[in-house]
Amino acid sequence: MQEQRKIKRHVEIRILDLTLMGMMVAVMEVSKLALSFLPNIELVSFWIILFTLFFRWRVLFAIPAFVLVEGLLYGINLWWISYLYAWPLLALAAWLFRRQESVLFWSILSGSFGLLFGMLFAIPYVVIGAAGNGLRSGLYAGFTWWVAGIPYDIAHGIGNFVLMLVLYKPVREAMKRLPGMR
Amino acid sequence: MENKSGNKKLIIGLIALVVVIGAFAIIYNVFRAKPTEGSKSITINVVNSREETTSYSVKTDAEYLRQAMEEAEGLTFSGTESEEYGMMVDTVNGERADYSLDNAYWNFLVNGEYGNYGIDKQPVNDGDEYSIVYTPAE
Repeated sequence: MQEQRKIKRHVEIRILDLTLMGMMVAVMEVSKLALSFLPNIELVSFWIILFTLFFRWRVLFAIPAFVLVEGLLYGINLWWISYLYAWPLLALAAWLFRRQESVLFWSILSGSFGLLFGMLFAIPYVVIGAAGNGLRSGLYAGFTWWVAGIPYDIAHGIGNFVLMLVLYKPVREAMKRLPGMR
Repeated sequence: MENKSGNKKLIIGLIALVVVIGAFAIIYNVFRAKPTEGSKSITINVVNSREETTSYSVKTDAEYLRQAMEEAEGLTFSGTESEEYGMMVDTVNGERADYSLDNAYWNFLVNGEYGNYGIDKQPVNDGDEYSIVYTPAE
């Protein structure tokens, strides 16, 4: 009987986890699409930080699912390779600082991530350039690509900072009210 | 006491973020590709979906690619305009490559390398060779 209860509880948790993961992907996709008319203003960074803080390990399944959906929607290209490590890196940073509660701290972290987004995305250009014509050529290709996008990185950084500053407290309070989050 | 030290760290973090933004702006202004003034001779190649190439030799004073493309005799192009990116070209010489509708796009190469800028911001330099290639999405 006790064993049965244990199994039931285990199954229930797994279903709840799966539902949460699906919900995380849906929230990220919908908010990304909703803001896609504004260049580099996005809520995915915000959600990945909040989801890591609240749902912990489950985000490790939600991020690859989100990346896969992005690849299916927009085609698997060079930018997609960068998605494979950029978003998990943000989740890792959020997890490392999970005890922080300051809205300013999370705004700085999210803003820094936005600012460095182009640099992270330049890595495949460096690798491809280096593989073809040597490291110097790869670094040059990555650098020129990064420089061209700096205005968008600055917009991204400021956007991430402001969105976190405005949304962190109300969304955190709302998420605390979710079942099992207290 | 600990709270004060935490706040101090956050203020330093905020200042650091602002300094990095300033540094990025300086790097952009120093290293971004800049246009050159005066007359330039360039070549624009259009490779369509049947892999046929049409070449246009253009003598131009244009500083950016869009104006040079407009001056190329026989070359036609159109697309959607956006304030941030300028024109996103979807049709060249009457052939449409709209990513969402045709699962293809017009790839812009500058001297054989992927272009980093839109046509409104791509500087034109003497001797440049531009290729506009119909590319099916992978």
